[in-house]
Amino acid sequence: MTRNDFLSVVPLFILTSAAILIMFSIAVKRNHKVIYIITLLSLLADFVYVVANMAGTRHELEPLFVIDGFGVFYIGLILLTSLLVTMMSYAYFEQREERKEEYYILLILATLGSVVLVISKHFVSLFLGLEILSVALYAMIAYLRKRERSDEAGIKYLILAAFSSAFLLFGMALVYVTTGTMSFEGMAQYLATVQGLPFMMVAGLGMMVVGMGFKLSVVPFHMWAADVYEGAPAPVTAFIATVSKGGMVGLLVRFFDTLHAQQYPVLVLIFTCIAITSMLAGNFLALRQNNVKRVLAYSSISHMGYLLVAFIAGDAMGTEAVTFYLVAYFVTTLGAFGILATLSDTERDAEVMDDYRGLLWRRPWTAAIFTAMLLSLAGIPLTAGFVGKFYVIAAGVHTQQWLLVVMLAVNSVVGLYYYIRIIAVMFEQPQRDSDQPHMLHPVAYIISGFTMAILTVSLIWLGVFPAGLMGIIKGLL
Amino acid sequence: MHLTFYVASAIAVLSTIMVITRYNLIHALLYLVVSFLAISIVFFVLGAPFVAALEIIVYAGAIVVLIIFVIMMLNLKAEAVEQEREWLTRKIFIGPALLSVVLLAELAYMILQSRTTDFNAPMLDAKAVGLSLYGPYVIGVELSGILLMAGIVGAYHLGRQKKKVVHRFLESTEE
Repeated sequence: MTRNDFLSVVPLFILTSAAILIMFSIAVKRNHKVIYIITLLSLLADFVYVVANMAGTRHELEPLFVIDGFGVFYIGLILLTSLLVTMMSYAYFEQREERKEEYYILLILATLGSVVLVISKHFVSLFLGLEILSVALYAMIAYLRKRERSDEAGIKYLILAAFSSAFLLFGMALVYVTTGTMSFEGMAQYLATVQGLPFMMVAGLGMMVVGMGFKLSVVPFHMWAADVYEGAPAPVTAFIATVSKGGMVGLLVRFFDTLHAQQYPVLVLIFTCIAITSMLAGNFLALRQNNVKRVLAYSSISHMGYLLVAFIAGDAMGTEAVTFYLVAYFVTTLGAFGILATLSDTERDAEVMDDYRGLLWRRPWTAAIFTAMLLSLAGIPLTAGFVGKFYVIAAGVHTQQWLLVVMLAVNSVVGLYYYIRIIAVMFEQPQRDSDQPHMLHPVAYIISGFTMAILTVSLIWLGVFPAGLMGIIKGLL
Repeated sequence: MHLTFYVASAIAVLSTIMVITRYNLIHALLYLVVSFLAISIVFFVLGAPFVAALEIIVYAGAIVVLIIFVIMMLNLKAEAVEQEREWLTRKIFIGPALLSVVLLAELAYMILQSRTTDFNAPMLDAKAVGLSLYGPYVIGVELSGILLMAGIVGAYHLGRQKKKVVHRFLESTEE
């Protein structure tokens, strides 16, 4: 390993060292506060390192990794998201679990898995990153064992994730048999020499799409989403919806862009079908749902469908749109689940509609932020969600994907109904006085409030002045 | 020589189906061992003797032994011994033994022929595996370590919880 090789994997090093440091710290004494601060500082240090030292460089770490502008942007995004998830975790876990320290190890390891995914250019690193992410998530989902649904959610995710990994591996094997290489560039070189897409390659890529589609929870691989979102603790749900999907989106874009997949009609057809069914199924399943966590799960399915529209468009603008949409989606989803976490009590998460009835009159600020987040999910102007959707539509129109663009527009209207319904419930007059929950040290609430404030400000800022982020994305990609 | 590959693969598939369809854990384990042996022969035929040996050492050796330990720890009472005797009748061994004999015959045939592969793959010995694992793929090895760490930390947390339902055997021994 040369010095440059070493410097380019420092982000992975910092995360690994943090996980080991936390483990030692647990061995000495279990202290939630200390471990929380270690986690925050290491994620922050990692983010600062990536932003300060790695932007604008391109380094190939043969044969597994490539660190380029795209990878650096996604690493930064993932680290920042994990940081925000950590910030909202303290108050949540302090109230609930006796042994809350291992959660932070798992959180950091899952982040590491996601970071590995976005910089990998080889099947080996792809699979290892994916498995680190999945294995850490199994335990995170079932973390609150006393909860009624946590075991169910954990087992469901375990079995289905293992099953989809098997598909992914089989697909990789078929691709390897055809191309004789496991690096993405090698495959692209092989494809350049043959006419069209060999049948084995189609079968292999199709099976890989099953494995990747599972992580993105797109239709028809979405069955786990609602149950797992419902059963997992709120911060973990936020993590699944953002970091886990973001890592996979980063990988998907890199993999299929390297192969120039958009020039093969059969692959475009597969992704078009997935995108359209995801949009439709996600939105229509959410319509009759009374559980807010499940609504957000179905909404995330449809959002992945929207995102695929830009992915199918495929050119430079498509990648920019995917990235921008992902940032907007992250901010919004984190905000929504953050509110959910702050409203939850020790027994269960605030997931039923009734928990939100008259929220505006009880806690006006919380209700206002939640409203902003829901409007952004729906894609109302002045929010980040609107600009993201606009960008995606622009990318779709740019490449004449009329069917997808029309479906996106229709589905946005359908989606509006269930977002507005939650907002309407919040505006109703309260019927009962809820008793005040057991209060923690005020600092815990200040941190949660601070997190929410950051997210709201960035939501509005992205909605009003999107040019700043667009400039950063364009500069890096 | 292609025939050896297909016979071994067929045994692997057959024994794996038997693993899934057995109701009794010990019987399933017996077939699982046969399945690992068959896969090991497949690797051997394909020209990877080192991986074949690893398959037997790691899977058939270590992992199955661990599973047996767990089963033994769950059965703590006298009636469990009786039950175990019922499980392990001679009849049970016939199926796995037959399949293993076929595999052994294949192995003997290949060694007598002194020609282990005719698939046009280069021979992959331990040195080549080691050089590539600790050369270009060293980060992959390290990441596998991290993967195991995630698994262990997760299993530790989930396993340590106070049990909601105590197993009936354990409960009666505590009295």
